[in-house]
Amino acid sequence: MSEYLKYTLDKFTFQVATNRYYNADGVWAKEEDGQVSIGLSDFLQQRSGDIAFADVVEPGTDLGFGDEMASIETIKVDISLPSPVSGTVIEANPAMEMEPEIINEDPYGNGWLAIIEATDWLADQAQLLSPQAYFEHMVAEAEEEAKSL
Amino acid sequence: MNQHKKVVIVPCSGIGKTYGTVSREAAYEVIEDLRAEQAQLVALSLLVLGDDDARSAVGQYPAIAIDGCKLACASKMVEESGGHVVQEYAVLDVYRRYRQFKPRGIAELNEGGQKLAHALAEEVAASVDELLAGEGGQDA
Repeated sequence: MSEYLKYTLDKFTFQVATNRYYNADGVWAKEEDGQVSIGLSDFLQQRSGDIAFADVVEPGTDLGFGDEMASIETIKVDISLPSPVSGTVIEANPAMEMEPEIINEDPYGNGWLAIIEATDWLADQAQLLSPQAYFEHMVAEAEEEAKSL
Repeated sequence: MNQHKKVVIVPCSGIGKTYGTVSREAAYEVIEDLRAEQAQLVALSLLVLGDDDARSAVGQYPAIAIDGCKLACASKMVEESGGHVVQEYAVLDVYRRYRQFKPRGIAELNEGGQKLAHALAEEVAASVDELLAGEGGQDA
């Protein structure tokens, strides 16, 4: 079960799951036996808005660290999501085709995007942010955005 | 068609959101152009206020709700006002059927938003026809 770091700004509360790593864009990576599941952080899904479309690369695709592994489209933004891990996509979440809103509803659970067979997880992990580091990065971004409104 | 038969259209009243604007533009097109004689617009805000005429309309006629987001205020207020939502549209779901029409804008929709509103209006108009045909000619 995930535990969370939480940050509240105005009426919004953003959670950061502590059992995975993140890139600075807000894409998380959770490794288990060499397979890494990928998804969006709670902050990224909330700031993006209701997700209308989520396109994930096909299983079998080889990805390098930082390659586009998915894109999402909301009423506010179109976002290209860089892969936080290098390897081969072995599964794309079938729910993304018909109900991508599941990302908004359960970003750290059923809203996962893909599972990647990692080529070198430890090397990739070293380039990612720990939950605490991402939390601090997220807080800074959220406060910066709030100032600009 | 019998002018006494009506369907009530209740769009989202959300302010500052593109999907809300799409819902209202679609509703306007239905009641002004596509099914002017068969459809009646009821303002969500009047239902919230408990306006007698608005409550009477949704109590008397079947309602089509057009919701701009998952809060589904239009659908909820029709039901809470004693009405019955016989067809519910969510703009996000409609957009998923017409991905080529990417809506942008709030006060004024872009071309994609206008096309999406038109596509939604056509669907709502078809629902109006189905509902009235299904009533078998009974006057309200």
